Amino acid sequence: MDRGWWWKFGLIVAVTLGCIWFLIPTYYSLVVLDRDQRNNLAVLEERMPSWAPPAKYRLNLGLDLQGGIHMVMRVDTKTALQKRTERRAQQIVNYVNDKKLGQVSADTDPEKLEVTLTAADPATMDAIQKEVLATFTDFKEVNRSGGSLVLVQDESQANVFRTEAVDQAMLVIRRRIDKWGVAEVDVRKLGSDSIQISLPGRSNPEQAKELVGTTAQLEFRMVDDSNPQFFAQLLQATPPPPGSDITVTTEGGFPQLQAPTREAIIDYTKDKVPENRVVLTECIANPVKKNECSSYRSYLLDRNVPLTGESLASADANISQLNEPEVNISFDPAGAREFERLTEAGVGRRMAIVLDDNVQTAPNINEKISGGSARITMGRMGGRSFEEWLGEAQTLALVLKAGALPAPVTVGEIRQVGASLGDELIKKGGLAAVLGLGLVVLFMALYYKASGLIADVALLLNGLLILAGLAFFNATLTLPGIAGFVLTLGVAVDANVLINERIREELGHGKTARAAVDQGYDRAFWTIFDSHVTALISAFILFFTGTGPVRGFATTLIIGLLASLFTSITVTRVIMTYFVHGRNAKVVSV
Amino acid sequence: MQILKNKTNIDFISKRKPALFLSTVLNLAIIVGIAAFGFNFGVDFAGGTVVEVKFDHPIKAEEVRERAEKGGLPDVSVQNIGAAEENTFLLRMGGVTQLNEESGAKGKAALEALGNVRNVYVDMPNGIIRFRAAQELPTDAVKKAVEDSGIGVQEVRELGEAQGGTGFDYQVVASGMADRVFAALGQGLEKPDFEQRRVDYVGPQVGKQLRNRGIMALLYSMVAILIYVAFRFDFKFGPGALMAMVHDVIMVAGYYLVTRREFNLTAIAALLTVVGYSVNDTIVIYDRIREDMAKFKGKPFAEVINIAINDTLGRTILTSGTTALSLIGLLIFGVGEIFDFAMAMLVGIVVGVYSTIYIASPLTIWLDERAAAKEARQREGGNIDQQQPKVA
Repeated sequence: MDRGWWWKFGLIVAVTLGCIWFLIPTYYSLVVLDRDQRNNLAVLEERMPSWAPPAKYRLNLGLDLQGGIHMVMRVDTKTALQKRTERRAQQIVNYVNDKKLGQVSADTDPEKLEVTLTAADPATMDAIQKEVLATFTDFKEVNRSGGSLVLVQDESQANVFRTEAVDQAMLVIRRRIDKWGVAEVDVRKLGSDSIQISLPGRSNPEQAKELVGTTAQLEFRMVDDSNPQFFAQLLQATPPPPGSDITVTTEGGFPQLQAPTREAIIDYTKDKVPENRVVLTECIANPVKKNECSSYRSYLLDRNVPLTGESLASADANISQLNEPEVNISFDPAGAREFERLTEAGVGRRMAIVLDDNVQTAPNINEKISGGSARITMGRMGGRSFEEWLGEAQTLALVLKAGALPAPVTVGEIRQVGASLGDELIKKGGLAAVLGLGLVVLFMALYYKASGLIADVALLLNGLLILAGLAFFNATLTLPGIAGFVLTLGVAVDANVLINERIREELGHGKTARAAVDQGYDRAFWTIFDSHVTALISAFILFFTGTGPVRGFATTLIIGLLASLFTSITVTRVIMTYFVHGRNAKVVSV
Repeated sequence: MQILKNKTNIDFISKRKPALFLSTVLNLAIIVGIAAFGFNFGVDFAGGTVVEVKFDHPIKAEEVRERAEKGGLPDVSVQNIGAAEENTFLLRMGGVTQLNEESGAKGKAALEALGNVRNVYVDMPNGIIRFRAAQELPTDAVKKAVEDSGIGVQEVRELGEAQGGTGFDYQVVASGMADRVFAALGQGLEKPDFEQRRVDYVGPQVGKQLRNRGIMALLYSMVAILIYVAFRFDFKFGPGALMAMVHDVIMVAGYYLVTRREFNLTAIAALLTVVGYSVNDTIVIYDRIREDMAKFKGKPFAEVINIAINDTLGRTILTSGTTALSLIGLLIFGVGEIFDFAMAMLVGIVVGVYSTIYIASPLTIWLDERAAAKEARQREGGNIDQQQPKVA
């Protein structure tokens, strides 16, 4: 037995133990915890022994196996772009009239995203054309004849707008789902115009559709600071219910309630607010996970909504001359008048910007703002990096746009699986896997005797490696994934069959046990390598083009093939070498 | 234990012509069949709504269909899944929302009756009616008008003032089909006697996207594998492997065509896996051919291939056998598409073995013979270039 053997043997033992160790979170989340606690990382972390790997490294059950809703929402960027074209056309007309370049009227073609400007006096068109094209750079000239000019949205600008519309929709959906308190949601972009949402454990698709399908409501409401101590006094007068964890914190001189959940604050303040007032909450972002709220704080707001997102014309994040991030907003004429009135009456007060009943920010009104455009500065930099600071401005601009420019969202796909069906599928899938695997193991042991048993050891390790690998990548196990698991193990045996047949052949040629084993492995190596690489190619392509369950299948296949390369070549060889070299066996039992 | 006691010496290659003929005929028949009848596209690709319901008492598929029809769903298809005593059914409908041509026209008329409503456009695929009104309308009134015409309304959206023209834009979003199915089945019952187990709802555009991506995935993987085979082996091995892959994919597609089982995303996964498995098998034999070419230098190529196939025959039967064995669990316990997947794989394994012997190998021989003939011609023409059959 040379040192190389011990080294390899040690590696295999380490890999095996490592796999078992890595499956602890999976074991706890699927076997030890109750079903409704399954996705709760905090509980999982608490229950597991301290030496276990972090709870996030665990195998998730796909929605088809645990019940839940998978949705794909399509953002109707076409409608949004049509609305934008109409708005821009109106802005062009206003601009031309304001600059006193002449009288024009605009007509839009929503299908082609074209704007036709017609001048009352054709002679003024030259000047208008020059000025408009220089100012409205997102438009390009299509043609010009006399007093009429046809403009079209620049394609690259339109694409930026489309991307933005999808980002906005995604943001709104994220915030809405957060409001509903659904754990372990996954919201991500799919292709260029779709958003994929996974809601484990939810069962009502119509409710979910409503949740994400309605357009965002943006409102501007005045904060009631007439009694700055309102929340502090409230807490003193009526102690909050135990367990709600409501405390008072002071932010910018105003005491506010703070609680880990939104419901705690809303429930507690219900029936305790003065007439014509309402309490809404703001999400305090988790410093680590940006899309989650670590806690919520309360605002006392006027009940009436003087201004909504429909009056908003644009919102953009910029960096000011003082090198501070800010958001510039502008209103349409009616909105501008209302905004002027509000800011005049509310100098010194705060104005809350509310999206879907969530307070986004509540900037202070420094002075009366006329002209319909305003600037929201992003407060002090605090401990944030400049990127984070600027990021907040960009998020706010997105929020404002999302409320202002409704890009309608339609349902592309909904797949909902009831919890009981999920349980049944797990049971059946597990049975199928165990039966398939058992038959293969039994067959190998009967057919190849000792060598078959060695191959079986490799096969079981292969299964363990697949599960640990899936847990490491935090992959999702789906029903097709189970099929992939079974199939991969079936294919993995293929390599050992190749080797064993080769060894038999070499023995048939009259070689010694040692020589036969060594040659068997050497000869079979490239064949096994080639067949695994080709299978990997198709698995990777499946992974990159597939969605949902198919992707789960591909992931299982990829990990399984890599594991099979290791187990069938290295693991079985180390064991075989032990018998023929280390113990000097003269006969190979194949 | 050994499956093949003695070394076989079957002359596979001599029967290659009738085999090739048979395969070609079968493949063409399947392609023609696909063109003529098409697949039974599942909701993944065709778009539409599928719901799975499990009744708490024994019920026949006809009764379920009757109930659905009585509830106002004439074009529903009902299919029993799983064992009969499970009382579980799949109900499939074309539409994804309650908006169809008939109800859309009614909804349009109802909106126009509100007065001052222009440009009503029924966007059936998205389940949305868009319209522009001369002045602002209360959304409740719009919702009521549309619902009274028989369309379930999920939401009425105000898109705000039309800035290019005059008027206000609205969208009426119709409710989903699944709602309607459950309502129809539960009509007249105090409490539903069934459990809603699953709802799959795929919009038509998404369906088309999924289908195109699936087909692209198949093509990409074939090309990638072809490149790899050409790179690792001699060029003449490439086309054989490719044709074998194409053959196997068509045969498995034939399974879906003939059985009318649902062709969906899982079917694409099955086809891709068959591609991987088929080429796996081909490569094992190619490897052996390459090895034997070096071993028996003087022998004709066809004979070498015969030896290689016979050498690996035991292995081929074994590996296919073990893979098939692992599928047995899925065949017994697999429900719906997983059963189909396992079945398709089984077909794939069988035709994969066949195609390696009768498609991939003969094509390689043919390419080799052509190359040899060309060489011979060149040699006669005075271009003496002593090239032995290449050993990669």
